[in-house]
Amino acid sequence: MVLFIIFCPIVAAILIMVGAPARKTALAASVLTFAAALFLFASFKHGQRDFQHVTSFIISPEWRLSFTTGIDGLSLIMVLLATIVTLAAVWFAGSIHKYENAFYACLLFISGGAIGAFASIDLFFFYAFHELALIPTFLLIGIWGSGNRVAAAWKITIYLAIGSFILLLGLILLYQSVPSPLRSFDIRALTVAASLGQITADAQHHIYLLLLIGFGILVSLFPFHTWAPEAYASAPAPAAMLHAGVLKNFGLYGLLRLAIPLLPEGARHWTTLLVVLLLGNIIYVGLVTIAQKRLDRMLGYSSVMHMGYIFLGIASAGILGATGAAVLMFAHGVSIALLFALAGELRRRTGTLVFDELGGLARVMPFAGLAFGVGIFAAIGLPGFANFAGEIMIFFGAFKNGWTMDGFRIFQITTVLALWGVVISTVYMLRAYRKTFMGTVSDQWKQLVDLRPTLRVPVTLLVGALLCCGFFPRAFVRIVAPAFRTHFTANR
Amino acid sequence: MNSILPWIILLVPLVSAAVITLFTLRSKILSSSISIVAVLVSFVCSCLMFAFSTATGAEFTWIGISGVFQVPFGLTLDPLSRTMAVLVSGVGALIHIYSLGYMRDDEGRSRYFAALSLFMFAMLGIVLANNFIMLFMFWELVGFTSYVLIGHWFYRDAAADAANKAFITTRIGDFGFMIGILMVWMATGSIVFAEIAPRISGLASHSTFLTVVALLVFCGAVGKSAQFPLHVWLPDAMEGPTPISALIHAATMVAAGVYMLVRVAFVIQSSQTALLVVAWIGTITAVMAALVATQQNDIKRILAYSTLSQLGYMVMAVGLASNDAAMFHLFTHAFFKALLFLGAGSIIVMLHHEQNIWKMGGLSRRLPITFVTFAVGALALIGCPPFSGFFSKDAILTLAYERNTPIFAVALFTAFLTAFYVMRMLVIVFFGKPRSDIARESRESPPIMTVPLIVLALLATLGGFAFFAKNFLTLPVEKEVAIVVPVLAIVALIAGSGLAIVLYRGRASEPLDLALLRHKFYFDEFYSWLIYWTQELLACVSAFFDRWIIDAGAVGGSSRGTWGIGALLRLVQVGNLQAYVFLFGLGVVAIIYFAVFR
Amino acid sequence: MITLGDYLLVSGTLFSIGFAGVMLRRNLIIILMSLELMLNAANLSLVAFSRFRVDPNGLPNYNAQVFVFFVITVAAAEVAVGLAILVALYRAKQTTNVKDISSLKF
Repeated sequence: MVLFIIFCPIVAAILIMVGAPARKTALAASVLTFAAALFLFASFKHGQRDFQHVTSFIISPEWRLSFTTGIDGLSLIMVLLATIVTLAAVWFAGSIHKYENAFYACLLFISGGAIGAFASIDLFFFYAFHELALIPTFLLIGIWGSGNRVAAAWKITIYLAIGSFILLLGLILLYQSVPSPLRSFDIRALTVAASLGQITADAQHHIYLLLLIGFGILVSLFPFHTWAPEAYASAPAPAAMLHAGVLKNFGLYGLLRLAIPLLPEGARHWTTLLVVLLLGNIIYVGLVTIAQKRLDRMLGYSSVMHMGYIFLGIASAGILGATGAAVLMFAHGVSIALLFALAGELRRRTGTLVFDELGGLARVMPFAGLAFGVGIFAAIGLPGFANFAGEIMIFFGAFKNGWTMDGFRIFQITTVLALWGVVISTVYMLRAYRKTFMGTVSDQWKQLVDLRPTLRVPVTLLVGALLCCGFFPRAFVRIVAPAFRTHFTANR
Repeated sequence: MNSILPWIILLVPLVSAAVITLFTLRSKILSSSISIVAVLVSFVCSCLMFAFSTATGAEFTWIGISGVFQVPFGLTLDPLSRTMAVLVSGVGALIHIYSLGYMRDDEGRSRYFAALSLFMFAMLGIVLANNFIMLFMFWELVGFTSYVLIGHWFYRDAAADAANKAFITTRIGDFGFMIGILMVWMATGSIVFAEIAPRISGLASHSTFLTVVALLVFCGAVGKSAQFPLHVWLPDAMEGPTPISALIHAATMVAAGVYMLVRVAFVIQSSQTALLVVAWIGTITAVMAALVATQQNDIKRILAYSTLSQLGYMVMAVGLASNDAAMFHLFTHAFFKALLFLGAGSIIVMLHHEQNIWKMGGLSRRLPITFVTFAVGALALIGCPPFSGFFSKDAILTLAYERNTPIFAVALFTAFLTAFYVMRMLVIVFFGKPRSDIARESRESPPIMTVPLIVLALLATLGGFAFFAKNFLTLPVEKEVAIVVPVLAIVALIAGSGLAIVLYRGRASEPLDLALLRHKFYFDEFYSWLIYWTQELLACVSAFFDRWIIDAGAVGGSSRGTWGIGALLRLVQVGNLQAYVFLFGLGVVAIIYFAVFR
Repeated sequence: MITLGDYLLVSGTLFSIGFAGVMLRRNLIIILMSLELMLNAANLSLVAFSRFRVDPNGLPNYNAQVFVFFVITVAAAEVAVGLAILVALYRAKQTTNVKDISSLKF
């Protein structure tokens, strides 16, 4: 089943390249993968900490390299996110004027790569699948983008490639830091080795730093974030949806999957650094977001800012914060995909996303206005949407870390500042909504028409996902939390 | 049945909101009927629950990580919440019906009723919540529906700005509230009210901690109940449709802050310092809002400032450690303030959305029912016996008299001001000559709008009498009837009303000119100045830093650095054969040197 | 008595002259000739080493001398190819000055 979910998009992409009808094949493939992911979700065995649905093909016995896939709670959530956003993105893409086949193939390659990375238990393929997804991103922005697309494409690609190389260095060192009888590419085996204390504290410090910077660049951790707004502003809407919604989570997933369980000592050692950087994400980038004058850049920066909350969950190093981080990864992925989809559609119709030129669009496009409103309120953590569930767990988890009755320590202060970040995000999101959708309509936009019913389907799908997770976060928490129980002490 | 009943109260409005949003946005009649049926169902069930006090709510788990974090979804069903449920759904039902008339011609009626249903859901959720997180969730949802409803006419710039202002301002209060919740959770290990209450008394030795927690929790109420210094959003919120001003921004939502304070009284009352701060914040709000109200010209803004002032009274009562007095005033205020707003709405509609009181005049003959009911509400507001406001305000004044003389003095002065500005409004709006053509041609509102007025007028009259109110509330016990308090209150009342009548009878324009009050103590100006010099400035500096230092400097710099090194190295690779040979020779010599001689 | 040092001195001088020619002269033909000079300097030192290194059986070690033959052969081939390229270059660019020939394609 997992293999099917990974290879369905990839095979479909190859078929499309060969000449199959692009949109139909892509839609069929994404619907199938989504259905399969739902099936996995429904048939998931709760309370089991091991990976499920494991399949393995040995490639090199002496290196202990094998193509192993399987899912546990965390990867299941990520796979589900990937399939939902893929379906929405493919559906939203509509007809493309140039190289339609290549466009859809690129989308599916990103999707397949991301799913493969999430479902791989082998370090090598974990990395390789992510690289597979990076190349189509470059093409999508460079060929089908808007604005200064070529520069943006080069920037994101080189930036992320640097991140990947730092990450690769970290992964190689990680592989070598385990003594040779236990050395393996299998993440499960590495975890066992790590829990036996086979990785020295000194090695953990170095490797964790490399992984943090490598993954951090991929996730736009402050100060490595400037690729994001530019790339998302230039990318075509489906590419921005897939990258911001799904692929970016790879770095966070990596931290949760590798860095924390394998290198707990390293994580402890660099906590202060991570906290400072994530505050940069929340407060500093939040302020930068307020000053943005274009909707697409504003959304790009807001996505960067919300990464700070997920990092806070990871940094808090408790089961509660980590679970919150996982839920927020899902929620942020869906909500930012929704926002990018609508912003892209808006740009397609108006040709501009500068705030001063827009206004009052909810009057002429009520459905788009409603959906966008849902998106921004989800993003600023309105209860009822998944983001709130994630954020509240993160705040509680972080606040708990190192608590005393005498006064605030680093994590309490960080939580307070992060809570102020919620106010900041309210300010910029509501302002953007005010300037885009509320107020008087200028004459040039009076002729705009609302979204077609076909485009309403993916929007509804994304909103539905947000609401489901927001009303019943327990279904997600039940799946994710056991995955962390082994690696996070409950009370820290 | 008993365990489902409370959930029906809560969930029926949600279902209504969902159904309207998903299916019936096109049909205005269907949408409004669904919404009204839903609120009536809620109201009937609330009454049932009130009558049969054995009802208990089933409990669910919202988030559960065993041993780490449990968020139950359960209901509190004590007398307090049962009364509030009846009050909220009852006033809500009247306002739903009234809205049918008021919003008759509005194109966004379906959206309006969907939001109204969602509001009922959220407000009932606040009332029934049994833990802090659930309370906070509904708290935020109420803020959201308030945003939607203030911004109902989102294509008007003023409404859109007011909606943003309301949401952001209350969020600032919620910032403190959330920290308070986190601290309570850490200190007691629970978020459920019933479990926290006994544990918090065990923390008596940490008095500073308790003060901080109490004040942080109070922050939430400051935002939501529009207390000084976060009161600025409420007057602007009058940009929304008038029934919304009546329901949300007078009768229920803004009172949610007071309700919350009463609900978590065990936190607030654990610290004397915090109580004192709460009392003074309430007092300052009361007197400041009353002062501002004396110089406003928009009928809804006058009522908005009177709401602020009355909320100040309630918070004052909470700060004086009497929840009963606060709830009593909340109870009566809900009736008479909803009545006043609906009356104002009736006037506004009949005058084709004219809100300036100086354009009205002589309306007592043209809108008799509105006039009589409005007058009842006004008399209740100023605390004229035997209307309801007299009893509840008297309870608070007595309390202040007993416990804190300075506060009593200010409260009495506020009562004087209240009488003054309410009489000013009555005199200008209903008496004298009509000052504009629309005022001359106005007619009485249709029955669908006047019936709720009459019902509310009856309630506003009866609400204060002990034989009626004691069914719903624990009335504050007055230890010894200090006769001096009601006497002073009535003196203030007569002085205020008399002054207003003398000053404003037969006037065609404002005789007083107090710029400070007319500009609301320049709070808005001050805040925009503050925001400009802090947030906006920081944002600009950060954006500049991000653009030029991080992006162009560090990132672009490393890119240009790479290009630069490449350009330098290219200078060597010019294709000059002999230079290559020379470098090659040097290399050979170097290799020989290192290989042989080192 | 001529010692190994004398041979090496001559060889080194020849090599230096060749190297200086390669570096300093502009004419490609002369550079090629200087290159030959360097090769032959190397050859001379090889032969000299061979002659002066005597095996226990009293005979010199001829391996190096065999190596010299290889070098001569290869040098001949190289000269042939090099001159051919030079002629082709001259036809294309009408010059044998090394300064004018700095790009990899025309």
